[in-house]
Amino acid sequence: MATDGAVPLPGLVEEFVAGQQDGGAAAAAAGVKAGNFTILQLVEALGPTLTSSQSQTRARGIQLLSHVLSECSGRLSEKEVEVLVAFYENRLKDDYVVTPHVLHGIKALTKSPAWPPGLAISVLKSLFQDVHVQSLMLLERSCIYTILINLMELKEEELKGLGADFVFGFVQAMDGERDPRNLLLAFQIARNILHRGYELGSFTEELFEVTSCYFPIDFSPPPNDPHGITQQELILALRAVLTGTVCFAEFLLPLVIEKLDSDIQSAKLDSLQTLAACASMYGYRELKEFLPGLWSSLRREVFQTASEKVESAGLSSLRAITSCLSRSILSSDGDDALRVFLDLIIQDCRHHLCEPDLKLVWPSAKLLQAAASASYRASHIIAGAVIPQLMEQYNNQTQCAQRRTLLDVLQGFVQPAQDGVPAVAEESVLCGFREPLCEVVFSALSETNAGLQVTASRILSSLGQQPGLLSTSHVELAVDHLRRLILEEEDTQVCPAVLECSGSLAPLYPDVFASAMIPQLKAEIFSEPMLRDNGQEAVHTSSQHVVRQRCMTALAAVSCHPTLVQQTAPVLLQVLSSSHTGSGLFSTDDIIAACRSLQQIAEQVQYAEETGCFFHDVIIPHLLGLTVQAGLQCDNQDSIPPQSPLTEEAILLAIVPVLSTACAHLQSELAALTASRVVSLFLDGDTVFLPGNNLPLQPQLFQKASSSCSGSQLVCLLMACVCSMPKSVEIPQVDRLLSELEELSCTSTHPFSFTLAAKCFAGLINKRSAGQALDLVLERTIKRITSELDCMSSSLRTQALTLLLWVAKALLIRYHPLATTLTDKIFSLLMDPELAPLAADGFSLLMSDSVDVLNRACHADFRIMYRQRFFTENSAKLVEGFNSAEKEMKSGYLKALSHIVNNLPRQVQLTELPALLPLLLEALSCPDQAVQLSTLSCLHPVLLDPPASPALAPQLDGLIFRLLGLTTSPAMKVRIATLRCLHALARFPDHMILPFRARVLRALATPLDDHKRLVRREAVAARGEWFLLGSPGR
Amino acid sequence: MSGSTRLENANPLIFERSLERVVTAEEEDESLADPIDDREIFDLIRSINDPEHPLSLEELNVVEQVRVRVNDPESAVSVEFTPTIPHCSMATLIGLSIKVKLLRSLPHRFKIDVHITPGTHASEEAVNKQLADKERVAAALENSQLLEVVNQCLSSRTA
Amino acid sequence: MKDSLTALCKLSGHPDSRCWFVAWNPSGTLLASCGGDRAVRVWGREGDSWVCKSVLQDGHQRTVRKVTWSPCGNYLASASFDATACIWRKKDDDFECVTVLEGHENEVKCVAWAPSGSLLATCSRDKSVWVWEVDEEDEYECVSVVNAHTQDVKHVTWHPTQELLASASYDNTVRLYQEEDDDWVCKATLEGHTSTVWSLAFDASGQRLASCSDDRTVKIWRECLPGNEPGTDTVGSDLSWKCICTLSGFHSRTIYDVAWCRLTGALATACGDDGVRVFREDPTSDPMQPTFFLSVHMPKAHSQDVNCIAWNTKEAGLLASCSDDGEIIIWHYQSEA
Repeated sequence: MATDGAVPLPGLVEEFVAGQQDGGAAAAAAGVKAGNFTILQLVEALGPTLTSSQSQTRARGIQLLSHVLSECSGRLSEKEVEVLVAFYENRLKDDYVVTPHVLHGIKALTKSPAWPPGLAISVLKSLFQDVHVQSLMLLERSCIYTILINLMELKEEELKGLGADFVFGFVQAMDGERDPRNLLLAFQIARNILHRGYELGSFTEELFEVTSCYFPIDFSPPPNDPHGITQQELILALRAVLTGTVCFAEFLLPLVIEKLDSDIQSAKLDSLQTLAACASMYGYRELKEFLPGLWSSLRREVFQTASEKVESAGLSSLRAITSCLSRSILSSDGDDALRVFLDLIIQDCRHHLCEPDLKLVWPSAKLLQAAASASYRASHIIAGAVIPQLMEQYNNQTQCAQRRTLLDVLQGFVQPAQDGVPAVAEESVLCGFREPLCEVVFSALSETNAGLQVTASRILSSLGQQPGLLSTSHVELAVDHLRRLILEEEDTQVCPAVLECSGSLAPLYPDVFASAMIPQLKAEIFSEPMLRDNGQEAVHTSSQHVVRQRCMTALAAVSCHPTLVQQTAPVLLQVLSSSHTGSGLFSTDDIIAACRSLQQIAEQVQYAEETGCFFHDVIIPHLLGLTVQAGLQCDNQDSIPPQSPLTEEAILLAIVPVLSTACAHLQSELAALTASRVVSLFLDGDTVFLPGNNLPLQPQLFQKASSSCSGSQLVCLLMACVCSMPKSVEIPQVDRLLSELEELSCTSTHPFSFTLAAKCFAGLINKRSAGQALDLVLERTIKRITSELDCMSSSLRTQALTLLLWVAKALLIRYHPLATTLTDKIFSLLMDPELAPLAADGFSLLMSDSVDVLNRACHADFRIMYRQRFFTENSAKLVEGFNSAEKEMKSGYLKALSHIVNNLPRQVQLTELPALLPLLLEALSCPDQAVQLSTLSCLHPVLLDPPASPALAPQLDGLIFRLLGLTTSPAMKVRIATLRCLHALARFPDHMILPFRARVLRALATPLDDHKRLVRREAVAARGEWFLLGSPGR
Repeated sequence: MSGSTRLENANPLIFERSLERVVTAEEEDESLADPIDDREIFDLIRSINDPEHPLSLEELNVVEQVRVRVNDPESAVSVEFTPTIPHCSMATLIGLSIKVKLLRSLPHRFKIDVHITPGTHASEEAVNKQLADKERVAAALENSQLLEVVNQCLSSRTA
Repeated sequence: MKDSLTALCKLSGHPDSRCWFVAWNPSGTLLASCGGDRAVRVWGREGDSWVCKSVLQDGHQRTVRKVTWSPCGNYLASASFDATACIWRKKDDDFECVTVLEGHENEVKCVAWAPSGSLLATCSRDKSVWVWEVDEEDEYECVSVVNAHTQDVKHVTWHPTQELLASASYDNTVRLYQEEDDDWVCKATLEGHTSTVWSLAFDASGQRLASCSDDRTVKIWRECLPGNEPGTDTVGSDLSWKCICTLSGFHSRTIYDVAWCRLTGALATACGDDGVRVFREDPTSDPMQPTFFLSVHMPKAHSQDVNCIAWNTKEAGLLASCSDDGEIIIWHYQSEA
């Protein structure tokens, strides 16, 4: 009943069946979908075709029907499905030319949810009976598998009713399958059979045989494989089958043992991983018979392998097996499977730990440790057998290298492992050995060998982490040792190890550290220089400074507990105050080291409220008091005593992060209080909260005295406090503050002061809520900046540019609409005869993270994508500016560009690279070495990234030409960076760079004889890589 | 070259690797020339992979800095290497790898001599003669199987 | 010393590769070179300079180790590490490969035409020396394989007038061959060098043979007619050659090649110490115990090892050398005498 306008059905059928035109099928499907006719009407129309005596004609008819079904199976009724299935089932007996189309039809029908009961069984029986799968083509075999998968989803219960016949049918169907795509499907069916509990009956071995014959998978996809099937996919799919049931154990384990013997590494690896997977689900019963064989294979692999992958897979397998045996319940006849197995391991491995040459000590130890990590009981048994022996060996050995090895091995046994942790009621397996263990550790700490000391301090940490292993007297002794090492040991490996150990023990035993570590470190820090024989005061030797600075680092390292912080931070503060009052004990580096340690301690504010209060009440006021006092004193030029070191810029810059780290983490009420105190200190000279009694009344901290030593530089303290607080903390009198800062930054002639004032201004602007108030401030400031910059005779243009850069950055990172106005102004300055170089470098400031303000640690309003956005909006301007600029001004643009690109995320660099490459190549030819260097450093990461290669292809010739030219640059850094880029290029696809090989190798022979060793090193690396290019064995 | 082929010396003694050379202020100074010294040559060859162990020649003590002599002004380098066992059949291959590494890494002006440490190998003379014959070395490097093994020894294997 | 050696021309012969060997054609107008780039180049004089006339590529898969001209000057033969030798025929200004001689197991190290042009010898790392016969149709047939050496055979060369063949080897010896009952047999073994013998050169008369070695010496050998003085260095064969002079202490590394000028009698060497040296015989010395003196030493003649040295066949004093640096240098040698 075709409706008007549609192609009549019989016409469609005839056209399709008679001709080679396949379009009719689509039209018919569209017709069904549109409701122009039903499937059954289609069948009727096909009637004569389907009963034709010509098998070709029947095939064509069924093809049409199957195609339509494949598009419309979802709309079939149960009745229709029944009729169609019966028809197709019957057609399975038809001629072989028909079969493919029949299978496609059945596949289409299995997508319909409307299958009446009983039908699935019937179809399956016919399929298994009438179709010889092995003689079908790849696509039809795939149909069979898909039909099985679909029916398993649809009619699981019915299929299970078939009993073992289903498994048998499947086994017969997949036997001999070779196509990787079909294998993935077949493995999925097998996995479903096992996981969903289909009855295997007497066909367990058959199912195993038909799947395990592919193990281990040996498949490498053909080049340009459109299906993208990887060996790993097949391996995982097959492994899921083989390890899918304990019933396979008796077949799988011998197979794994056999395949472990393979010469092919991937086969070995697969076998080991399969073993680990199955062992984790097997029980003792399955493993029992194979344990000796498995152990001897695993031992051989770990002892002999040259591959870390094989070794680690072997160890995982051993761990899985041991863990399985640990789960098994002790049987009544006293047959302790775990102990028997471990005895085997211990017997084979233990003696290697005592061989004098220690040849196999590492693999043996790794095996034992892998087994021990499987369970608490395993670790108990192994520790009991091994640790006493290791300690005895250690005590008997005389050679340092050997003792170091033994100690390293011991460390592996002492480390707490996840599953080796005792249950609540159990005590650590090491309890029995705590005395001798501590003895070994302490004796090793007393050695002069750095390796022994490092390992011993690691063991000490491990012991300390496990409850009940260190007694109070042990801890006291340990702290004595650590203190001694901190004071005496200079080795670059020992020092960090000792500090790390101290840091891990301190929070566990704070009292001992408070009494036996901190006072002694303090005494060392404040120790007076030794007197010379003639009674004159000696100058501190450099080594004394080193010890002192190490003590300060140690103070920070142990400050991970509030009570310890309250002891350590005052010591460091005292370093500052005593140097301020002119003790002369401390060098600038000492004071900076004290600040660094204080900053590290300030990080603790976020972890303990108590520490926050302490910083708020004590440290911050004292630090501010000292610094303000110093700044004000020296303002008085004729003051005696001489200038305090706390006015040095380097030290002020070290104090800034202490304050900002603390303020950034203060609890909010404390933060608000600090903010208001600091603001009134700076605006009103309110010094009430500052300790100390020799501060002038109401000091003017914003005074503009243009001397280099002025209270104005204290503005850095203001920045440190108010710019680091969360946005939620309200800064009082912010407008007054901003106008003072603007004034200072625009008028001071002292670079430190005007720069810090600009940064502080920017930090406040960045967090200021949008709105009229902000707009007013900005309008005023921009006007001032612009007029200053436009006045070419002004002596304050640098100040104006500095403020411009920082304000631009403050607005840029929060996506403020006015940012563009400011950055455009900066772009225009690239043509300024006086300020162009400064403006070009300003782009580095805009694009990189600043350390002390406008960053995330300071809670800045910071959009993570601002760089991309800036780049996208401005790259065209830059290119245009470059092209139109006078020759001598071009380098400014290139420098700006390289700063911008250099700071872009890798992904953006990659996508933008093709457009920018010509300009970057231009930049490489620019004689300015700074531009060259910056460009090279931006090219290097891009070149390291393989996806970059297609983008670079068209420019490769120019790039390599320019790079080779730069290998003889007069600047060492340029030569090094160039050679690194050339090295990175050698990783490009062969077809792209092979044509350049001879030329590059010849050119790289020259830097091999460079007069600088660092250049030669890079040349050797790059040339070596280019030699391997296109050569076998790469 | 699969993992399970029988190794001649399955369990060699392993020696500690030396630390990276510390960069000095002189090396950072553009105006000074750094002569090519023994340590620099040693650094070129110490990381060469042994053909049959996953270890470097330094870790196997096959090469040592004291067995490297360089004379930069006269453009001469001499290296002695010590096979792990006196009958090591890999000796020629190891020597070849050292020689090739130096040929690729040193300025062409250098004359490079690679020898077995006297008294440490059964076929010392024969191996030395082969390594000194540049025609044989050139021909060996045109043999793709040999070149493959040499390149594997020279490639920076990821640990 | 008034004798001098002046570089006339430097040719970038085989860039990015090494140049192994150079050979002048019989009329002295063309120079053939070969190298690691698998190519043979032919150079000719144009005015004061030398230019590349043709490049013979695609004949070999690996390094071309030696190249040599046929006595008629119409053919070139090249020996390669690819285990073959190629015969090239001159056609106008170009060359075409007419035959590939296969049979050696591995690298062919050298190829040489007998003075008649009807015999050709090749040698290889497979320790054998092969003698080939050439007919009018350019067909080559191997007539003899001699396995006299115990190691690689590095070089073969023919006596300037007789059918006498000499070979040098990694086994430290030189051997001489002649035809006997349709077969080529080793007639003499010259022992004396203590390391690989790299190359050989007969003097113009063929009475004397110079050999150079890895032992850093050049030895001059002379034929002793039967019944001569006792103590000859050869044993149990028909020929008797004796070392009459050893040039030692002049060279600091392996001597890769020696060339005896058939016009002037000067002896030139190519050495692994980058130097080129020319020696002359003291005319007053006893011909049976000659003394040679160093006429010219050009240290750093090349930037790397010098592999080959060749006197021009017609123009006295014209000398070509080539090196690992890929360069060919044409020298002019002038002596007082």
